[in-house]
Amino acid sequence: MSPIAEQAVAPPGRSDLLGWLTSTDHKRIGTLYVITSLGFFLVAGALAVVMRTQLARPNSTLVSPHAFNQLFTLHGTAMIFLVVAPFAVGLANFLIPLQIGAPDMAFPRLNATSYWMFLFGGLTVFLGALTSEGAADSGWTAYAPLSEIKISTGLGQDMWIVGVFLVSVATILTAINFITTTFIYRAPGMTMWRIPIFAWEMVATSLLIFMAFPSLAAALLLLFVDRHLGGHAFDPSYGGNAVLWQHLFWFFGHPEVYVLILPYFGVVSEIIPVFSRKPIFGYTGLVIAAFAIAGLSMGVWAHHMFTTGAVDDPFFSFLSFMIAVPTGVKFFNWIGTMWRGSISLATPMLFCVGFLMNFLLGGVTGVMIASPPIDFHAEDSYFIVAHMHYVLGGGSLFAIFAALFFWWPKMFGVKLDERLGKLCFWLLFVGFNVTFFPMHLLGIEGMPRRVFTYPDVGSFPLLNSLATAGSYVMLAGVVAFAWNVVVSTRKRDPVGPDPWEANSLEWWTSSPPPEHNFDDLPPIRSARPVFDAHHPEIAKGGAG
Amino acid sequence: MVALRLFISSAVFSSVIATAYWIFSKEPTGTFLLGVMSFGLLFVAGYTIVAEREADLVGDRPEARPVDAAGELVGTYSIRSPLPVWTALAVSCVGLGIVVSPAVAALGVVAMLIAGVLFILQSR
Repeated sequence: MSPIAEQAVAPPGRSDLLGWLTSTDHKRIGTLYVITSLGFFLVAGALAVVMRTQLARPNSTLVSPHAFNQLFTLHGTAMIFLVVAPFAVGLANFLIPLQIGAPDMAFPRLNATSYWMFLFGGLTVFLGALTSEGAADSGWTAYAPLSEIKISTGLGQDMWIVGVFLVSVATILTAINFITTTFIYRAPGMTMWRIPIFAWEMVATSLLIFMAFPSLAAALLLLFVDRHLGGHAFDPSYGGNAVLWQHLFWFFGHPEVYVLILPYFGVVSEIIPVFSRKPIFGYTGLVIAAFAIAGLSMGVWAHHMFTTGAVDDPFFSFLSFMIAVPTGVKFFNWIGTMWRGSISLATPMLFCVGFLMNFLLGGVTGVMIASPPIDFHAEDSYFIVAHMHYVLGGGSLFAIFAALFFWWPKMFGVKLDERLGKLCFWLLFVGFNVTFFPMHLLGIEGMPRRVFTYPDVGSFPLLNSLATAGSYVMLAGVVAFAWNVVVSTRKRDPVGPDPWEANSLEWWTSSPPPEHNFDDLPPIRSARPVFDAHHPEIAKGGAG
Repeated sequence: MVALRLFISSAVFSSVIATAYWIFSKEPTGTFLLGVMSFGLLFVAGYTIVAEREADLVGDRPEARPVDAAGELVGTYSIRSPLPVWTALAVSCVGLGIVVSPAVAALGVVAMLIAGVLFILQSR
């Protein structure tokens, strides 16, 4: 008997606190993930604004060096572990069962357990700030020996270890759920080559999580043993090796970059066809490219370690260059989808275009620093800060906003305001580029990253002031989004099942969907079942 | 079939990378990590070969209709349960307790045991 035949049987949903605390409904858990990650985003963003204010002028004393170290540690940890990845997990939780025509995730209680472990893990990291010596201050990479007990003596570092460990276990558990759900719980006719690209990207992401996160968990355990149980894994004075931390960390850390971007490749692959009024160009190519990126990303970790002098530079450099090929395929497909399409620049599409432009620049600088001679010059400078923010800020963050504007009606039953949405986009786009483009120049001029101040020399003051001004513009963009949420929620203008005339199965059911997801399903004969049902005269079978 | 191909190709790819890495670098840490990854993927691929023999998923049939999945109910999805939040709280208490207070950790262990028993009872 297929599990698809099962129907969720339960009393109508309660909107009270207890209902949310005990829910195992994938839509509620997805919504909780999204809201929680946005909450962490606000906190991490506020920390970034404080850092930029400190760096607006040379020799500023707004915050102490110790406080600054805590600020960038919490900002990085939150953005990586508590914002970009969990938002994708939340989106996938909400969407995957709907997109493949399933009533829920394969393991609903495990799913809920993952969310609560993520939340408590994140809170644990931040609660470290309340301890006597403050939060962890060894950076989100927690390099040994900085994170060892001799240097990071406070409880904050321990709480960071525990918090990140909880988050990583939660992420592994949720990856199991995504893979099982996608492989087993597809609706009749929803073959693997008909599932939406977003679901494919989440399968690739989940595979990466399986392969990469155990290394992080092992590294965190070893660090804890070093700190409290007399271990010396990372302590050279007792025969340990500090570079071992870097191996273990980056074996997780580089694939993590793709855990943070592959889901958003899926997001733009869903949105661009809808607003180009065309099917996605090169469905199969996009899927293969996702797995090629995932596979290659497992073999490039030590390009973060070129300057240690302890790794095989040509091996890692070659594989890092190779990743540009499948990524280029994806860009080609997105542009091919837009080519001669009937493009409408609604807010989700605007954010996708912004994503393409920003991510392209981040990708190009990534290819540059995959070359060891350039990396030796750029390592630990603001050039790296600019590169990673163009990938994860200009890339993932813009896709997050694209996803929010696109799927908000499905999640909450109301559309966000378009005029405020466009204002939000332009503030974020201009603010982002004014903030981070000057950082390339700062890096080339030699400004190191993770410093709380800098001397009044060269163009350091001008470029830093510019970057700070840009961060305030971004802040205004976030305020515009928050105001949009308030206005749109107050207006309460309900939408139908398919406000965008979209393609995939989530747009077949009501907005928001009922607890059991679907009252009925259309025949599934292609990757665009909803489009096929609405336009039977031009429907055709097969992928795309 | 797609899952099988996916896991087999991933396992072959990672084995090739692990071998190439050892040949070029002779570096043990990375080779070990890639080796463990390859072994894990080979294990999953092997399991998938066995599991696919038994599999007859309605989602894999390209011409299947919604009605093909209809039939007798075999169970229900639990729409709400207090156990997930309880379990997560218990695990967090253990983690936090290890660094803050052994009493909190002990409380967490007890809470985890209770959660385990309740999970077993609820699954019956």
